[in-house]
Amino acid sequence: MRKAVTGLRAWLVQRISAVYMLLFILLLLFHFFLDPPHAYLAWHGWMKNPGVSVATFVFFSALLLHAWVGVRDVVMDYVHPLALRVSALVLLGFSLMAIAAWVVRILLTEYG
Amino acid sequence: MRLSIFRFNPEQDEKPYMQDYEIELEPTDQMLLDVILRLKIQDDTLTFRKSCREGVCGSDAMNINGRNGLACITVVRELKEPVELRPLPSFPVIRDLVVDMTQFFKQYHSIKPYLINDESAPEKERLQSPEERKKLDGLYECILCGCCTSQCPSSWWNPDKFVGPAGLLQAYRFIIDSRDQATQERLDDLNDPYRLFRCRSIMNCTEVCPKDLAPSRAIEKIRLMMVKDSL
Amino acid sequence: MCIGDMAKSKKRRPVFFNLAQIQMPVGALTSITHRVTGILLALGIPFSVYLLDLSLQGPQGYAQVIAWFDKFAFRVAAIVLVWALAHHLLAGIRHLLGDIDIGSELPAARRSAWIVNLGGVAVALLAAGVLL
Repeated sequence: MRKAVTGLRAWLVQRISAVYMLLFILLLLFHFFLDPPHAYLAWHGWMKNPGVSVATFVFFSALLLHAWVGVRDVVMDYVHPLALRVSALVLLGFSLMAIAAWVVRILLTEYG
Repeated sequence: MRLSIFRFNPEQDEKPYMQDYEIELEPTDQMLLDVILRLKIQDDTLTFRKSCREGVCGSDAMNINGRNGLACITVVRELKEPVELRPLPSFPVIRDLVVDMTQFFKQYHSIKPYLINDESAPEKERLQSPEERKKLDGLYECILCGCCTSQCPSSWWNPDKFVGPAGLLQAYRFIIDSRDQATQERLDDLNDPYRLFRCRSIMNCTEVCPKDLAPSRAIEKIRLMMVKDSL
Repeated sequence: MCIGDMAKSKKRRPVFFNLAQIQMPVGALTSITHRVTGILLALGIPFSVYLLDLSLQGPQGYAQVIAWFDKFAFRVAAIVLVWALAHHLLAGIRHLLGDIDIGSELPAARRSAWIVNLGGVAVALLAAGVLL
């Protein structure tokens, strides 16, 4: 692999995204413990609140980046034939991008 | 004492097999090496490396009841019977307990295990304060026995691309040596997806090191240096 | 390896690599489980996003998601994912602390590995208590 995607960069992305997700999950659990949504309207209203939807979108961005680094590590460890490894990584990349697009649709557009 | 030892003779055997031995322990048998040396009286074809018999040469590194260690400093009476001896995991077996250490040494050489300092040589020696010298403690003592690297899963999956705990410990030994001037080059050399960053901090290396060194910690410190460097 | 060796035994250099016979210290167990739970969580992402989508589409979608949570199989799957998240998170925190040199010495590392392994199971049992 070329130094383009250096080891350090991927490692930092993994750690930084982890910290954001940890804080988000703790705050989410705290919020749901204190004020759980009881019906659709409360749930919808809360999620579509600009602050919440943006923070949630950032959470998903962090999640997908974190998943990219993690699954890529697994592929690099166990998949040795070059063609197979490249295919797996490309498939992974496209799948994560598709999910990202889906999340944008759900959280940031007026759909739903 | 009952032992079960991995045997393989390339000139005779198709596949390796385990051979059982039985031997009466004598009062002079302190370490595992004492016992297997006496086993050679029963069976002189049993082959293994040994030299210093005091834990400083690293020759008799082997897998003892599943865990790598040096036969000469492993107290034999503390071992569960039958004592299972196998060669270091994942290294090609030349014969019985003797393994091919070529890949291991290749990775070691790749980190340039020598002082790099292009300043003209001083009259006496390159000075180093006691504090600077202290930083080498826990790093210079490595005897390159191979216990750590052969117990490291990341080394198992990518022995040719991941430097491994022993190599990385030595890389750090030179990185923090105040007399070495190639720190930047050393850090850059390790900054690729495989050479250092396959390390997952599994810590098998630190678990098995017979000299009680901590390669996982050295790797952590190299990473922190790289982070500081990039900011 | 010198040429002489290669000529003689180039064909046969077996390796000892039976994972069942190689000791797995507690930290190694934490680590492989960290990886396995990561894969489980990654596989769970598409369905989780689908649930989010459905729950925000309208009252029927929301009701549908709630209805699914009534199913036993769904709850079991949820508990497995809760365990996966708990273990992965705790092991991740152990790694983050190790990165800044906290708990990197062997005795501390072994203790924290036990805490992570048992903590994940504890959270899963809690979830099972709540959901089942």
